Amino acid sequence: MAEELRTEDMTMNMGPQHPSTHGVCRLVLTLDGEVIKDCQPVIGFLHRSIEKMCENRTYAQCIPLMDRFEYCTSMSCNWAFCLAAEKLSDIKVPERGEYLRVIMGELNRIASHLIFVGVTPMDCGALTPFLYTFRERERIMDLFEMTCGQRLTYNYIRIGGVAKDIPPEFIPKCREFLDIFEEKIRDYEKLLVDNPIWIARNKGVGIITPQLVYDYCISGPSARASGVNFDIRKNDPYSIYDRFDFDIPLGTGGDCYDRFNVRVNEMRQSARIVAQALDHLPDGEIRVKVPLKFKPNPGEVYSRRENSRGEMGVYLVSDGSTKPFRIRARGGSFSHLQAVPHIVKGLKIADLVAIFASMDIIMPEIDR
Amino acid sequence: MTKAELTAHITTTFSGQVTVIENTQPEPYFIVKPEDLVAFARFIHDDSALQLTFLMNLAGADTGERYEVVYNVCSYQLKHRIFFKIQLPHDNPEFDTVIQVWPGANWFEREVWELFGMTVRNHPNLTRFLLEDDWNEGFPLRKGWTGTDFIPLPDRG
Amino acid sequence: MGLIKKLPVYTEHIPGGSLVTTSVNSVLTMAQAKSLWYLLFGTACCAIELMATGASRYDFDRLGMIFRASPRQADIMLVAGTITKKMAPRVKRIYDQMAQPRYVLAMGGCAIGGGPFYYDCYSVLKGVDKIIPVDVFVPGCPPRPEALLQGCLEVGKKIRTLKLDEWS
Repeated sequence: MAEELRTEDMTMNMGPQHPSTHGVCRLVLTLDGEVIKDCQPVIGFLHRSIEKMCENRTYAQCIPLMDRFEYCTSMSCNWAFCLAAEKLSDIKVPERGEYLRVIMGELNRIASHLIFVGVTPMDCGALTPFLYTFRERERIMDLFEMTCGQRLTYNYIRIGGVAKDIPPEFIPKCREFLDIFEEKIRDYEKLLVDNPIWIARNKGVGIITPQLVYDYCISGPSARASGVNFDIRKNDPYSIYDRFDFDIPLGTGGDCYDRFNVRVNEMRQSARIVAQALDHLPDGEIRVKVPLKFKPNPGEVYSRRENSRGEMGVYLVSDGSTKPFRIRARGGSFSHLQAVPHIVKGLKIADLVAIFASMDIIMPEIDR
Repeated sequence: MTKAELTAHITTTFSGQVTVIENTQPEPYFIVKPEDLVAFARFIHDDSALQLTFLMNLAGADTGERYEVVYNVCSYQLKHRIFFKIQLPHDNPEFDTVIQVWPGANWFEREVWELFGMTVRNHPNLTRFLLEDDWNEGFPLRKGWTGTDFIPLPDRG
Repeated sequence: MGLIKKLPVYTEHIPGGSLVTTSVNSVLTMAQAKSLWYLLFGTACCAIELMATGASRYDFDRLGMIFRASPRQADIMLVAGTITKKMAPRVKRIYDQMAQPRYVLAMGGCAIGGGPFYYDCYSVLKGVDKIIPVDVFVPGCPPRPEALLQGCLEVGKKIRTLKLDEWS
């Protein structure tokens, strides 16, 4: 009993294959017992060099590659790229095409948030919400499959509009989904929001102050949960978002609990937008005629979109030829992961898992 | 502020030399000298009429004749944005870090170093992170680079 | 299934019960094929379809498959997603940590042969069978959940054809 306790720091690896790292991220932790003193992310395990590949492909061939840039919201990635190419050549998308883009984009946002609402409690130990949310997500996948044939990487939004028109059974099925969706969101909230275990794991954990948001360029729901009112759909509207009536959910504390609630409320607002878009969907053309080997005007452009994980931007340089000269795609998670070491200092490993899950970080946006 | 107001404010108020590029986009686009980079970044971040605190994107580009580093910034509070870039020669591409203004630029600059080979002065941690640890085949995003196991797409016309 | 159909032929009724004769091989391979525990190894897009297959509509659990996070507790590794050259030594290490008998299913175009990242890509390993032996390939980008379920049933069929001394 007179032995001395060894108290040096321990370096531990939360390796690339781990159920809670949301992809292949390696975190090298320096621990004092269970308390984290330092956390260094090691990335690059999914670097697929999409930017170099796009330089040798035509614009139409780049769109399926951009799908894989952020596969949970592929419609978004397609849309950001097409916005950039259309800005360079001043292409005006027809009305029906714009409304279809908004419907698909918002349904994709709901699908991505459903993955979040399913997987985040799973990381904290609750397995039931996963089964509930994926059941709703399957309904959205049915809607996408009847439109463009794919469940995950759609290749649907093209330069000048969208690829195909919706079939006649889309609208009744979509309205049926929206009718039952509010009740399902209440089911998820009943399981988690007042649950004492959920509150103990998440309330007060991983607080992101507004100063940290500004320093590390955090955007999207993670920034709005800290009280920073910034949503590109309202502040810098693109497409036809200024015609819709929706609220921006804001949080006050900036902890994991607020980030979760902001995303759940965003699903409600997205459902509102889809209902309004279905009510006002006009007839007409879905796509402007654009040559197969599209040649935009030379120039540089940066187009941005409010993605479910933050700001999704595409910086596109064109030299007037059929292939892009340089593309730099920017995802929200790239900036968020830089902030994680500053948030977790002094907390325990279980808190790191909860924080990592609540920031909704996904690796392909970081590694490209 | 509109594009014309931003252009006028920046060109008259900033102490160094700033060139304006004519473009058709709604954002003003400037070329800044590499020596003035940190001062310009500090100016647009702190100025109360600009408050350009959100660094949206920092990208490197190889135009064939020179290297460029492009910065796209916007403002959380005032909701306007500008682009600016610096131009570097091919034989000695070096530039200063802007971490003291935007700490979130850390990994963006590391990526520019790793994929283009442009050195960033005063960066705290310029190490490899996207490519493999024992990568020794050069800088992939430079124009005209080919490496081992790089199968180019066949041109079918 | 074959064993159950032929059950009346092989059953001998003796006082107090009955007796079934079969071979140890067929019972052990059937037990193994009907309860493969898979290692969660999703790297990219196919991981989302893997999760969707494990969810309620296309259930993995009805085939006896449940996910395990540790390679020591898993029978089959579902390699779902792109494997880059940086990740390849780790894949090999995890495969070596799995206890025998172990099986590998390559899911999706990227794991089979590079997929859409075959041309113009400097960092992707063009096929996971370059580093570990693969039993079943499931094509698709990403494959549908039904295709993945069929792939797992094919692994089961392959296991039923193995002999005891071939387990490795």
